[in-house]
Amino acid sequence: MNDFSVINKRLPRVDAWSKVTGEARYAADLSMPNMLYAVLLQSPLAHAKILNIDTSAAKKVVGVKDVVTYKEAGTIHYGVSPARYDETMFCYDKVRYVGDEIAAVAAVDFETAMEAVSLIKVDYEELPVYLNIFDAMKEGAVPIHDDYPNNIGAEVHQEFGNVEEALKECDYVRTDKFVNKKQDGGFLEPQACLAHFDMNGNLTLYTSTQTPHYVQRTVSMVLNIPIGKVKVVKPYVGGGFGPKASANTIELAASLLSMRTGRPVKMVMSREQVFMHSRGRHQFYHELTTGVKKDGTIYALKNTCYLDGGAYSSFGIATVYYAGSLLGAPYRLPNMRYDGYRVYTNKPACGAQRGHGGVAARAAWEQQLDIIAEELGIDPIEFRLKNVREKGEVTCNDFNLSSFGMKECLEAIRDRSDWRNKKGKLPKGKGIGVACGFFVSGAGYPIYRSETFHSTAMIKLSEDGGTVELYTAAAEIGQGSDTVLTMIAAEALGVRYEDVKIYSGDTDYGVDLGAYSSRQTLMSGHAVKQAAEDVKKQVLEVLSKRLNVPVEDMDIKDGYIVFKKGQVDFSGIRSYYVKEHRGWAEQPGDDKLTFKEAARIAYIEKGTIVSAGAYKPGELGGKYKGATVGTSPAYGCSAQIVEVTVDMETGKVTVDKMTDAHDCGFAINRTNVEGQMQGSLSMGLGEALFEEVKFDEKGRVANPTFGEYRIPTALDMPNVNTIIIESNEPNGPFGAKEVGEGAIMPTIPAILNAIYDAVGVRIDELPVTSERIYNAIKEKERKK
Amino acid sequence: MLLLPRFDYEEPKDLSEACRILAGLKGNGKVIAGGTDLLVNMKKGLISPTCLVGISKIPGLSEIEPQNGSIFIGSNLIVAKLTEFEVIKKKYPMLYEAASVLGSPLIRNRATIGGNIVTARPAADLPPPLIAMGARVRLKNRRGEREVELDRFFKGPGETIIKKDEILTGIILDEPPIFSGGNYIKLGHRKALEIAIVAVASFIVLDKPDGIIMDAKVILSSVAPKAIHAVSAEKTLIGEKPTDKLIERAANLASQDCSPIDDIRGSAQYRCAMVEVLTKRTLTAALKQAKKSR
Ligand SMILES: Cc1cc2nc3c(=O)[nH]c(=O)nc-3n(C[C@H](O)[C@H](O)[C@H](O)COP(=O)(O)OP(=O)(O)OC[C@H]3O[C@@H](n4cnc5c(N)ncnc54)[C@H](O)[C@@H]3O)c2cc1C
Repeated sequence: MNDFSVINKRLPRVDAWSKVTGEARYAADLSMPNMLYAVLLQSPLAHAKILNIDTSAAKKVVGVKDVVTYKEAGTIHYGVSPARYDETMFCYDKVRYVGDEIAAVAAVDFETAMEAVSLIKVDYEELPVYLNIFDAMKEGAVPIHDDYPNNIGAEVHQEFGNVEEALKECDYVRTDKFVNKKQDGGFLEPQACLAHFDMNGNLTLYTSTQTPHYVQRTVSMVLNIPIGKVKVVKPYVGGGFGPKASANTIELAASLLSMRTGRPVKMVMSREQVFMHSRGRHQFYHELTTGVKKDGTIYALKNTCYLDGGAYSSFGIATVYYAGSLLGAPYRLPNMRYDGYRVYTNKPACGAQRGHGGVAARAAWEQQLDIIAEELGIDPIEFRLKNVREKGEVTCNDFNLSSFGMKECLEAIRDRSDWRNKKGKLPKGKGIGVACGFFVSGAGYPIYRSETFHSTAMIKLSEDGGTVELYTAAAEIGQGSDTVLTMIAAEALGVRYEDVKIYSGDTDYGVDLGAYSSRQTLMSGHAVKQAAEDVKKQVLEVLSKRLNVPVEDMDIKDGYIVFKKGQVDFSGIRSYYVKEHRGWAEQPGDDKLTFKEAARIAYIEKGTIVSAGAYKPGELGGKYKGATVGTSPAYGCSAQIVEVTVDMETGKVTVDKMTDAHDCGFAINRTNVEGQMQGSLSMGLGEALFEEVKFDEKGRVANPTFGEYRIPTALDMPNVNTIIIESNEPNGPFGAKEVGEGAIMPTIPAILNAIYDAVGVRIDELPVTSERIYNAIKEKERKK
Repeated sequence: MLLLPRFDYEEPKDLSEACRILAGLKGNGKVIAGGTDLLVNMKKGLISPTCLVGISKIPGLSEIEPQNGSIFIGSNLIVAKLTEFEVIKKKYPMLYEAASVLGSPLIRNRATIGGNIVTARPAADLPPPLIAMGARVRLKNRRGEREVELDRFFKGPGETIIKKDEILTGIILDEPPIFSGGNYIKLGHRKALEIAIVAVASFIVLDKPDGIIMDAKVILSSVAPKAIHAVSAEKTLIGEKPTDKLIERAANLASQDCSPIDDIRGSAQYRCAMVEVLTKRTLTAALKQAKKSR
């Protein structure tokens, strides 16, 4: 037991009531007087030159207020990484995928806008369409972007140690290939926004985003308005998982249309548009060569990966690095070589998605390690235990594992799942599998080059002292950051959870890079903690003067002032407070001095009590090219055991049980940590068994609905045994680090390894549909 | 955004008013029951009726009524309700099974049995067991009423013999013969919200518990434009004493009785193989039930 009052507990989410009652408002719920509705014109072709755009008929429709194309929007390039700004608000020279944005119409209602948009005439000259990387890379293929003649938009070559030499020293070497499929974020809330450009020239953009800060910067740059005049507000958000981590066209178009018309403009994506906009998981083609010593020591890894990036770069520059760097741990791997290529194709752009860049690599490698363990005759858990790194070690690619409960995770799942009595002892058709995972706890650097703080926070006390107002630009997108930050503020300041009121997700509240790379608990948490500690100090300093007690002899806890050296006479303050608040609710009455009274005194003395906190990571390791992708102030890790039943005749997999351990450093809210674990596992299960964005021969998404793009239902999820491991991260607030993304890492390979255990076939292509397993079983029978 | 086109809405109080309205609309009207198919298709712009005729206020269409030995299931009965009646569970278990795997709880609370039939999707869940059990449908328009075997109702995807002014009022199922049994299995990817990759409904009647097969129906779904009979499988079964061997032979024949296509849910080859597996499983289960039933 620890003596925390608020954190490390199972408190209900701060937004629980508004969400369950429907009081919570999402972007699509918002409206304003005099509001216009806008819709996009998107390309029906996957690759074509634009010869002419004729908007005249659309402009004539009664009720249409504005029609914009690149002519009105300009062609300022933007994107995610400044090195690859390859998007414009609207296409001007060519279209690169089905769904590429060409124009937008604002009208008095959706129906009118839709009708008008259908009247815009575009003349195209069709170009060859490349729907896979092999066609796109072929000699003579037409470049999708002129700057990249062979359609390879980004390349990475990294070597740590000497892989060729190391492989020669290995007793056992094997090479395997693995491929996943393009995946959709599958969040429930489609993107939506409402832009309002007011008479003073200030733009307010309400939008469903993970990163208000990046959206603010992009809008400011593309529309050429000073950043201080752009305010981005994130209402409640129904999930993001990565695809909402950068600015999108509707945010830009709605802002432009509002600036031009002077009226609020609303835009909402349909589910089909969400699939076309995508920015979800890339398709990765991995080839891994791993070398080990006889005794099971992992010694070298050669990793080659081709990423199908789609039509634009989005987060892909980071992705292509992560697909290599994230294999640097959790095992002691002295030699690692990585060659990565991100290829443009005429499909929706891929970007960051939960477990950014590392999920397919992890699945491929953990399956290969399972094969190697079997070949060496070592139990797969023992094999992993033998190789896992421990706290304080530094990986070959310079990741500093300042806390690392990998071993504890493995031991916990082994013991809690009864592995020893199951592995190798289950009947045919039943299987058990294990895998590990590893992830950053916040990107070490912003996506644009800058010395900026990654998170700031402000706290202000209400004048009666009773309420702590916390302001942060961090983005609550359903993952629970509002709850966790509220808890951190309450704990650090010494007040009750319910005394803190959080305001978040608004760029006017400060700078926060947002909800991606599993960063907010650690980074925003630090800023909030700092601000709270400063408020505490300010209040105690005033109190110290009043009561003549040194600050060190006082503390604040559970909303009361603690006098460490015995009781102090505070009756003067009490009667003063009571006199000032006669007739008010909640008068202090007991024999302890409340924080409220102390804070009131501080206000009377100093005026409004405000404080600020700011965080950016300290010096991080790695001087090599690309070291900025993967270096992080801390790393989370996890291990998982999955048990499955495979129907030998149909190939259908049922996941019966999952036992998952995750090292989150320290659980600020235990229920939230488990929620992230459960959610990650469900996403991983979907990616392993069901999910694939499919395309027809013209490059159109063939399954742009949740009927044919299958995310797991509640019935597909087994009961999950979640085990929280706490390794006390020195670089995290109260010892906390990530759980949001790392938890997904072991799921896919653990399922793959369990399927192998059940039916003896290895599947190297996701999703593992019944048909794929059926075919593999038949193939195996034929070979017998 | 998918928007519904404009349309008028009528809500007749009885059948004759409904028939009158439909006749007056001269083919431009459509019955709306749960709307789970109709509204989706209208949003997609596949159909645009000028008027929808709601049938929820018409008495008798949302009930189950025994009618001298057989039962009449009102067309507007929601699928969730189908799974609640004891008589369905006991006497027509395969209809119960099909109803309980249709869509999700949300869909089952709106989708109706009539809608599931008239919409005529190749993968619809209720028609296979209903056809296997010899269901008839009752159709009514202003001029009269007719009863048609469900087996002869479907023409192809979305196409049936129903006339534009006809309302499907209900489904009639006869008392199942003694020593009969049936089973329905749907193979999908997920456990819910799943359109079948393949589904099979089998129904057999024995002359006595360990006797010979008097009648056999093997209905294959999702492998053709509409649910079809595995004709040679049925032929092989009838008149024979049921054995594992016989069932395996029938299952194998069933897989040759269909010629499915490749689509995004599965390949033709896999579908054929699964027809064999599911036919075997449904026949085995049906036989077990038939031996016990009386
Ligand atoms: C998310 C989702 C999941 C689904 N899953 C499944 C599934 O697993 N299995 C499955 O089989 N189906 C599924 N469906 C399809 C659909 O729900 C069913 O076919 C349902 O039974 C249709 O019934 P309804 O009452 O909603 O029909 P409606 O949509 O109201 O009508 C469908 C058609 O039937 C006509 N019609 C309806 N009632 C009558 C009547 N009494 N007389 C004459 N014409 C009539 C209508 O005019 C219309 O053409 C799903 C649909 C959705 C949206």
